Amino acid sequence: MGETVLSLEGITKVYPGVVALKDFSLDFRQGEVHAILGENGAGKSTLIKIVAGAVEPNAGFIKIGDQSFARLSPQQARSLGIEVIYQEFNLMPSLSAAENICYGQKTGRFASQRAMERKAKALFDEFEVAIDPRALVRNLPASQQQIVEIAKAVSRSARILIMDEPTAPLSIAEVEHLFKLIRKFRELGTTIIYISHRIDELFAISDRVTVMRDGRFVATRETESTTRPELINLMVGRELKEAYPERTRAPGETVLELRGVTGNGDSDISFELRSGEILGLAGLVGAGRTELAKVIVGAARLESGRMLIDGRPVSIRSPREALSHGIGLIPENRKEEGCFLEMDIGWNISFASLRNISIGPIVGRKKEKALATGYRDLMRIKAPTLEQKVKLLSGGNQQKVVLSKTLAAKSRILIFDEPTRGIDVGTRQDIYRLMDDLTREGISILMISSDMEELLGMSDRIVVIAEGRVAGTLEREGFSQRAVLELASGGSYKETA
Amino acid sequence: MKQLKRYAIILVLFGLIALFSALSPYFFTQQNLTNIFVQQSYVIIAAVGLSFVMISGGMDLSIGYQISAVGVTTAALVKWAGLPFPTSLAIGMAMGVFLGAFNGWASITLKVHTLIVTLGTMTIFQGLSYIISRQSVILNLPPAFKFFGQGFLFDFLPFSVVLMAVSVGIGSFILNFTWVGRQIYGVGSNEEAARLSGVNVKAIRMLVFSICGFFVALSAIVLFGRSGSASSSTGPGVEFTAMTAAILGGVSFKGGEGKMWGLVTGVLILGVLSNGMQLVGLNTYVQYIVKGFVLLLAVGFDLLQKEGLAKGALRVSAKQAA
Ligand SMILES: Nc1ncnc2c1ncn2[C@@H]1O[C@H](COP(=O)(O)OP(=O)(O)OP(=O)(O)O)[C@@H](O)[C@H]1O
Ligand SMILES: [Mg+2]
Repeated sequence: MGETVLSLEGITKVYPGVVALKDFSLDFRQGEVHAILGENGAGKSTLIKIVAGAVEPNAGFIKIGDQSFARLSPQQARSLGIEVIYQEFNLMPSLSAAENICYGQKTGRFASQRAMERKAKALFDEFEVAIDPRALVRNLPASQQQIVEIAKAVSRSARILIMDEPTAPLSIAEVEHLFKLIRKFRELGTTIIYISHRIDELFAISDRVTVMRDGRFVATRETESTTRPELINLMVGRELKEAYPERTRAPGETVLELRGVTGNGDSDISFELRSGEILGLAGLVGAGRTELAKVIVGAARLESGRMLIDGRPVSIRSPREALSHGIGLIPENRKEEGCFLEMDIGWNISFASLRNISIGPIVGRKKEKALATGYRDLMRIKAPTLEQKVKLLSGGNQQKVVLSKTLAAKSRILIFDEPTRGIDVGTRQDIYRLMDDLTREGISILMISSDMEELLGMSDRIVVIAEGRVAGTLEREGFSQRAVLELASGGSYKETA
Repeated sequence: MKQLKRYAIILVLFGLIALFSALSPYFFTQQNLTNIFVQQSYVIIAAVGLSFVMISGGMDLSIGYQISAVGVTTAALVKWAGLPFPTSLAIGMAMGVFLGAFNGWASITLKVHTLIVTLGTMTIFQGLSYIISRQSVILNLPPAFKFFGQGFLFDFLPFSVVLMAVSVGIGSFILNFTWVGRQIYGVGSNEEAARLSGVNVKAIRMLVFSICGFFVALSAIVLFGRSGSASSSTGPGVEFTAMTAAILGGVSFKGGEGKMWGLVTGVLILGVLSNGMQLVGLNTYVQYIVKGFVLLLAVGFDLLQKEGLAKGALRVSAKQAA
């Protein structure tokens, strides 16, 4: 293993009411993939923002090569060869995918449009994802934006490449492409710092894993000589049994039926969702699952086909009408579609259920407080107070706020679009249990997920979508990663690694 | 942290009051202070309306000519059509709501930013106003009309100030305590998230513009009542005063942010400034320059406060943590 390229010494970072990092020290070696693991709010993103010069530490040093810094500016960090894929998107929405990738790079005085597009296309091809280099980033779904983000970072030759949850919105096929890329960079001697809540990924790609808890260093392990339970114990500081709830109850009547639903890029989608059922929607990036969810809740136009609720045809033209039919959506993109960043936690949680907690036109403050406190405890939202602005929460905690907001509205049919995106393993268990409890009460869940384990573990049935069409349906007995991927890729999937 | 930021603008107000009290013996008298309130009441009422639009993420540049159009219409109905004042008043107010709703409808239909829509409707309302007034001044408005701008309740409470207080009260109530108010903040804060959470964004947009039109119409009655005569050139310019006051008071251009008390403080700062400068004897154009600088200073001060405080708070909590 190579020599130390980056070392952190006694880094401390304090925010009002929160100690994000406390006396944190760690060395990174040349040519290693170093994973960082920790619960939501443990301080992972803060750590990498400090390395990238986006955040100033209160104390400690960053040593790169033989230079030592009390703080870095983003320009310094970049000139030292540090590239970051942030957890929250960092793209310019009104520029095209290609322009984003080449933004700020020296491509000559007049960057040729053609050259930029060629470069972008080549990178996308590595992922085998058909993204139009000319498409404006704001029109791309979250998963494709993520690939643009990755392409942007890898297209610059970095000495240290940092990835904060790069795979959260990606499905297993794209993850494999990413891993191939990471391995290629490792060969070239690049150090990769990799943050993810998907622990199996860490075993697939990392050389060493560092666990942190409440802003402190807990331990570093060689990946080869550790186990999943050990990592989880280090991370949560207690015994945690990982298991998907036993799904025994037989689903009841059909509550939601799609017949030949066409619109928003999907065509002729038919399936039914039964009462008390968790129906998984699987597919690759760009398969059209999020698009379908938008059509169901009336956020995008239904061009043809029909939707029936309890056997009666309904016409849903807006999310408000969907809610009044008892359909709630947890959107994929928490920052753009899920939360109100400038508002506080309590305000966010109660937003979709304002009328239920109001007396006449007036919002009941006590009820609101009770609602928010309830969900904070249930979801373990980590924050000094309920008055904390959501934009100051860690990514995972923001996701918990979005979940709480939709759940508080008490819908009978819930559409979860990547519900556990960015959420740590401990809380995941809580959410899985909660989903199980909800379905026991007769609530039905349509779960879009790119997390294969979760999809196989939680679903009662899986509908696989490929290129905007239903590619097949799997019953529980037929569940396997292989079966899902084969359908998702139109039969062209080959198991690698 | 929030507390201190709140103080900033109130401190500016008190600072100005102290300054002018020192400079002019006539400033800090009951007579003069009442005057300031009376003079500013119509601006505050219009600003209450504007704040609804701004908090929802929009802007209304047309309120100046809305005032003009509503004012001359009401006056024309009383003086030329011979309608009784209450009827004219009701029609005038309804017209305000209608003009506001028209703004809302146009911005929904055209799907462009409200700034641009109201830039257009501003001109429409201007034309409307001059056609109705036949470019003339309608003199001698009836006493009931003047009462809105000049009258006193119980011989000591200026009626316009009462109307102002009631407007601020109603505005605060809707924005702070009702679920509709929450939805207005929600649309301003993140429109897409609000829509997906089941908010009828179009309805909210119609609503804020209609509410704005209502308060603007009330503001028109107070303003025209005070001057006792009606002409189409009265009103324009209020949009910028109200906007300046709103920004001074912390209503964000981007929407989703802002409180009524800040708005009132903002208007009062501007009022105190022009009144004080008048008393001290500065000419009108110098006053413009000073007002412009105050706005820039206030915005800068606000930013400085935010940063400085964040650092201060850091030091404090760093100590606690250690
Ligand atoms: N600007 C800020 N102001 C106040 N608190 C902050 C700020 N940024 C982060 N925090 C807090 O610092 C802590 C660490 O946050 P960080 O984003 O580093 O967590 P994380 O480990 O990346 O979590 P996740 O897995 O959810 O992404 C959290 O409690 C968060 O609320
Ligand atoms: Mg993070």
